[in-house]
Amino acid sequence: MVEVGDRLLGYATDPNVRSKGASGGLVTAVLAAALEKGLVEGVVILKRIDEYEAVPVITDDVQEVLSSGGSMHAVPVNLAKYVVGKKVAMPGKPCDVRGVIEQAKRNSVDLSNTYIVGLNCGGSMHPVLTKEMLIKMYEIDPEDVVGEEIEKGKLIFKTKSGEEKSISIDKLEEEGYGRRESCRYCDVKIPVSADLACGNWGVIGELAGNATFCEVMNEKGKLLLDTAIEAGYVEVRPADEKSISIREKVNSAMLKLGDEWKEKVFDEIPDKDRLKYYIDQFADCIDCGACKEVCPVCSCGPDSKCTMFHSLADNYKMSMYHMVRLLHLSDSCIGCGQCADVCPVDIPVTTIFRRFANPAQKNRNYMPGMDLKRPPFLEVMLK
Amino acid sequence: MAEKEWEPKIVAFCCNWCSYGGADTAGMGRFQQPSSLRIIRVMCSGRIDPMHVFNAFLEGADAVLVTGCHLGDCHYVNGNYKAEVRYQFLEEMVKQLGLEPERLQLNWISASEGEKFANFVRDVTAKIKELGPSPLKPEGVN
Ligand SMILES: Cc1cc2nc3c(=O)[nH]c(=O)nc-3n(C[C@H](O)[C@H](O)[C@H](O)COP(=O)(O)OP(=O)(O)OC[C@H]3O[C@@H](n4cnc5c(N)ncnc54)[C@H](O)[C@@H]3O)c2cc1C
Ligand code: SF4
Ligand code: SF4
Ligand code: SF4
Ligand code: FES
Repeated sequence: MVEVGDRLLGYATDPNVRSKGASGGLVTAVLAAALEKGLVEGVVILKRIDEYEAVPVITDDVQEVLSSGGSMHAVPVNLAKYVVGKKVAMPGKPCDVRGVIEQAKRNSVDLSNTYIVGLNCGGSMHPVLTKEMLIKMYEIDPEDVVGEEIEKGKLIFKTKSGEEKSISIDKLEEEGYGRRESCRYCDVKIPVSADLACGNWGVIGELAGNATFCEVMNEKGKLLLDTAIEAGYVEVRPADEKSISIREKVNSAMLKLGDEWKEKVFDEIPDKDRLKYYIDQFADCIDCGACKEVCPVCSCGPDSKCTMFHSLADNYKMSMYHMVRLLHLSDSCIGCGQCADVCPVDIPVTTIFRRFANPAQKNRNYMPGMDLKRPPFLEVMLK
Repeated sequence: MAEKEWEPKIVAFCCNWCSYGGADTAGMGRFQQPSSLRIIRVMCSGRIDPMHVFNAFLEGADAVLVTGCHLGDCHYVNGNYKAEVRYQFLEEMVKQLGLEPERLQLNWISASEGEKFANFVRDVTAKIKELGPSPLKPEGVN
């Protein structure tokens, strides 16, 4: 039996799951055990199409879950909305997890029915830019890639012919590739609001690469892990001080780097130029609504206040649709980057939304998606 | 013909029980009221959705006033506290947008404070005359 607060190193007992997993297959095995033992009715998995594309599906087939291991760094999809109204277990990067918590605050997800196995996250990449980067910087045909890995600050691609090429992530990002902009300044790297927080930071020595560091965040996390251990799906042992401190150190270093990016990305636009900047940016908007559709913290249905203003026929100086959304998301935007990823006319939607959310959240000392006890502010905080 | 002085458009959201009464009292007391004012009456300041405020700007308002009963006096218990929370978000958003902060104002005015209401509108009007038309005003709207 594990306890809440335990920090463990573990792996899948099945050698195939362990080797297919990103770092020991613990996450896959825990999700599969939850389904097998009836904790949930389905599991959200990413069904892989190729290195750059995967679709989230909910499956009730344990075998399908067992074969879903591995991290897809160039699939920046957000999973939060897939669990609405279902009794499922899901893996989740911090932005997936935070999306689910915000949905729960708006009563569209029932957390007692939703089990979240969190994944540490240093960032994900945009699939289209990744392919472009492979051609330009790696001189590799994207179709030839069979695997990818991050090691010591380098992004490594392996090809069909067994070739390996590595370039430092700093260099890639200087050239505008590498992690998505929102990931560079993302301020949660360990998903502490999930039920379990898993990752490879702090896994060292002979276990490096084939075990997962796992922290039990709450009672549901304990139940998930106990179920997997009892079912014989995973083995765990306590992490030693060295592992724990390495994980902490890497996390702090990543957060510090994130703060530096934040400074760079959000350089002040002078007061007198700001309105024009926003008007110009949104002038290209074609009101497709995709940025709202993918937003993991928005829980409005298809007919919502913002979409009422989808019209290319008004004579407004600025998009009313965006003005409504800018306000509605200033307390709850988690900076996941989805909106910018999907925008067909390449408006830097996320950066713009963060310009409004950063001060609003800072002034209230509030981080959305972290603490269930604090309600969404526009639901009104009355003393 | 002499050029007529530009008259700003000021939209004031007033709650039925207090600030609308204040506007009424101002009228009855014959306090000089600028012709810039457009009042929108709502039952309670808690009904004012920030969306209404933005829409007023996009439709051509040069300033928007959010008004209601004094804190503690709302006829629906705490509607004005709700308005206040929303107002803080609105204020921050206006600042980030780069719209002049003077174009958005909050004031609690009781039904008997006719003079306060009139002075408030006059002061805002004077300020907006200095600032000129709102940069969010659509083409073709005065
Ligand atoms: C984009 C990304 C970046 C990461 N960065 C770090 C990092 O910097 N440091 C660190 O310690 N750990 C990081 N991780 C977590 C790490 O890669 C492993 O997922 C974790 O150690 C668990 O390993 P495992 O073998 O138990 O997982 P597995 O058994 O391989 O299970 C992985 C699970 O993740 C799901 N998954 C795969 N790709 C995605 C995706 N793009 N979005 C959502 N879910 C996905 C799969 O469906 C599967 O359920 C990252 C993961 C991802 C997806
Ligand atoms: S936004 Fe944060 S949590 Fe989400 S993929 Fe990027 S770095 Fe990971
Ligand atoms: S507004 Fe954009 S960045 Fe913010 S939570 Fe929604 S999709 Fe993510
Ligand atoms: S995704 Fe882009 S074009 Fe579509 S509504 Fe959003 S900002 Fe406009
Ligand atoms: S009734 Fe006047 S503010 Fe609520």
